[in-house]
Amino acid sequence: MSIKADIKIDCKGLTCPMPIVKTKKAMNDVGNGQILEVQATDKGSIADLKAWSESVGHQYIGSTEEDGVLLHYIRKSGDEHYIEAEKNFEQTITNEELIDRAPEGGIILDVREEAEYAFGHIEGSISIPMGELEERINELNKDQEIFVICRTGTRSDLAAQIIADKGFTKVYNVLPGMNSWCGDLTKKI
Amino acid sequence: MTNKVAIIASNGGLFDAYKVFNIATAAAATEKEVAIFFTFEGLNLIHKQGMQQLPMPEGREHFAEGFAKANVPSIPELVEMAQEMNVKFIGCQMTMDVMGLTKEDFIDGIEVGGAVTFLEFAKEAAPTLTF
Repeated sequence: MSIKADIKIDCKGLTCPMPIVKTKKAMNDVGNGQILEVQATDKGSIADLKAWSESVGHQYIGSTEEDGVLLHYIRKSGDEHYIEAEKNFEQTITNEELIDRAPEGGIILDVREEAEYAFGHIEGSISIPMGELEERINELNKDQEIFVICRTGTRSDLAAQIIADKGFTKVYNVLPGMNSWCGDLTKKI
Repeated sequence: MTNKVAIIASNGGLFDAYKVFNIATAAAATEKEVAIFFTFEGLNLIHKQGMQQLPMPEGREHFAEGFAKANVPSIPELVEMAQEMNVKFIGCQMTMDVMGLTKEDFIDGIEVGGAVTFLEFAKEAAPTLTF
């Protein structure tokens, strides 16, 4: 399946250091939190783009291969890496508590970008990226408990607030989030 | 952690040029502040004419085909990219004097300086690389 990206760049046929140089340039046009897809045939790009992302402070999500072309997904990170964002939503639940409670019903709502979800999510969780939440809110059921999760708890904090503002009461922000998730992960790639 | 990478380019062949400019552009793309000090034969790499036809090491000429096949950017292209990303080029004044070269013999945008100019930059850099 194809994974949604906000911006795509073609680095096919290019050798080191070109994929890095082009990725760096393209990143200037990517908004914070958006996904860049880098198409490359340079095998070294797997290690390079990962190292580059870590060095520069972006989130390397993963890569797939399609007909000999590597597709890398990188999420542009703003300041969230450096500043522990304040979390305001009061109803929270820990990763561990979620593991105990999820089988009792309720849904796990993953508000990360589709690409992040594709490369590893909790089995049975549903994906509605943060940016689509308001328009897709009717997919949620007010009677169910909703456990909102993202990577570090920041987006899910905002998302939980948005959902609560629509009259949902059984909403919980899951902390610390997928970053520290120890359970099994399902992929959708 | 330091954000500077200092490179000394002291050889003038095509392979040397790729080592220097690949590392320099990759570092610049990783948001490092990069300076290259060109000295002795390394000056070839930014010489207006010299850089257009840098020699392969003797007996290694057959690699030319490999370069073309791998679609590796040319040295002038890499140099332009490096300059776009604000890589600082410093020509060694002493070597230029010895070789009878002036700033006009080199591509635009270079600085000319002595060893101390480079040392001043390199004292805070990690890594410092020599090619």
